[in-house]
Amino acid sequence: MLKVENVKKAFGAATVLDGVNLTVSPGEVVSILGSSGSGKSTLIRCINGLEKLNGGRIAIDDFDVAKPKELAEARKRSATVFQLFNLYPHMTTLQNIALAPVEVLKRPRAEVEQEARALLASVGLSDKVDAYPAHLSGGQRQRVGICRALAMKPRYLLLDEVTSALDPEMTAEVLAILAKLAREGTTMLFVTHEVEFARQISNRIVFLDKGVLLVDLPTEEFFAASGGLAQPRIAQFLSKMKKD
Amino acid sequence: MRYSDFTTYDLLLLAQGLGVTIGLFLVTSLIGLVIGVLWGVVRFYRIPLLTPLITFIAELLKNSPVLVQLFLVFFGFPAFFHLNVTPVQAAVVTLSANTAAFIYVIAVSAIESVGREQIDAARAFGLSRWQILRHVIAPQAAAFSIGPLTALLVNQLQVTSLISVIGVMDLAKIGATLNLRTLKPFIVWAVVGLLYYLTAKLIAAVGARYETRLRRFSEFRGL
Repeated sequence: MLKVENVKKAFGAATVLDGVNLTVSPGEVVSILGSSGSGKSTLIRCINGLEKLNGGRIAIDDFDVAKPKELAEARKRSATVFQLFNLYPHMTTLQNIALAPVEVLKRPRAEVEQEARALLASVGLSDKVDAYPAHLSGGQRQRVGICRALAMKPRYLLLDEVTSALDPEMTAEVLAILAKLAREGTTMLFVTHEVEFARQISNRIVFLDKGVLLVDLPTEEFFAASGGLAQPRIAQFLSKMKKD
Repeated sequence: MRYSDFTTYDLLLLAQGLGVTIGLFLVTSLIGLVIGVLWGVVRFYRIPLLTPLITFIAELLKNSPVLVQLFLVFFGFPAFFHLNVTPVQAAVVTLSANTAAFIYVIAVSAIESVGREQIDAARAFGLSRWQILRHVIAPQAAAFSIGPLTALLVNQLQVTSLISVIGVMDLAKIGATLNLRTLKPFIVWAVVGLLYYLTAKLIAAVGARYETRLRRFSEFRGL
């Protein structure tokens, strides 16, 4: 179980997360919605240990990410797909995918590379095994990013606005893969602006506003007039997203 | 034959001087490279006390004349600490330290040239600092640094000529000796200059060859 308990994070005087609580159980898909600057990406960066907390606790399968020794174990159980792909430009797609499983999980390279090829084939990139990221389109890079995360066989997949840097066609490519992962029961914590997609694949939807978690509701309830929509801030957000 | 005429023995002397220059250049460049890169790694790990100390030493070495450093090592330290230092030992220490200071600067820039987002990704996937340095930073930093490194080494070759003033029989010192004997400064210094030039071109060619290899490896950069 992934637990976020009363997490606080500030950059200087600016409070970015203010007492956030969240639990993600294995098999769940939880989407985090909220406008830009609401703290969604910071929450993901706190979960994967890239940001130090100012308060509260985050634990992945009981491994506290604030404790250096436990962080290593927590990171083996989660994997992140980044908004701007964050691929290693000097490595081929295969090398990008194989690096962490070989170096961190200490798995045999041949076995990892075989799995990496299968992952690339599953996202339609079997002909790009030896390509460098610069030679791929944005959608292809993000698919490699997803394969890189899946190669770690994570219990929790953290997705940070993975389609926001993509055009509509490439967005559709990536969302199709995520929908498939959701059907297969992959546990996902999904920061997104794709409200309709979040509605389709999520078990629960969390709404962040100025660092405060406003609601954490089952998807149907979130979109019900008596549920999430009853909150003026959420109604305003959803109405604006529809117009956009 | 007059005493001031050139002889075939002079060619041997020039070859010997060139050998000393190239030998000292190679040794001090190698020592400087190892020390400079190690300093860069220490800075990457942000080791307390050691990092500011290294930065301070590098600043001193970069911002003072090599000739002054050479005199300090050859005359100053031996007098103060009652040591015996030969000209070659002083040359090796001074040139190595000076090269290390500049390589440290190149190493730091090369390490910092690697995008923060890549390091974030590697950290999030659980790679250790050493693994990040080895697999993510070093290959890209090497590609970044080969150009500045070649330029530095060409410059350091010219700097070796300063060691002639403490009596090391390098190419410049041989040139000065031949000049005194033959009293033909134009021919002597033109030949010495040509030998320095050809050696510098050789270093640049080796650097360019490595750069081509690394560019092939770093085709992603679109260089």
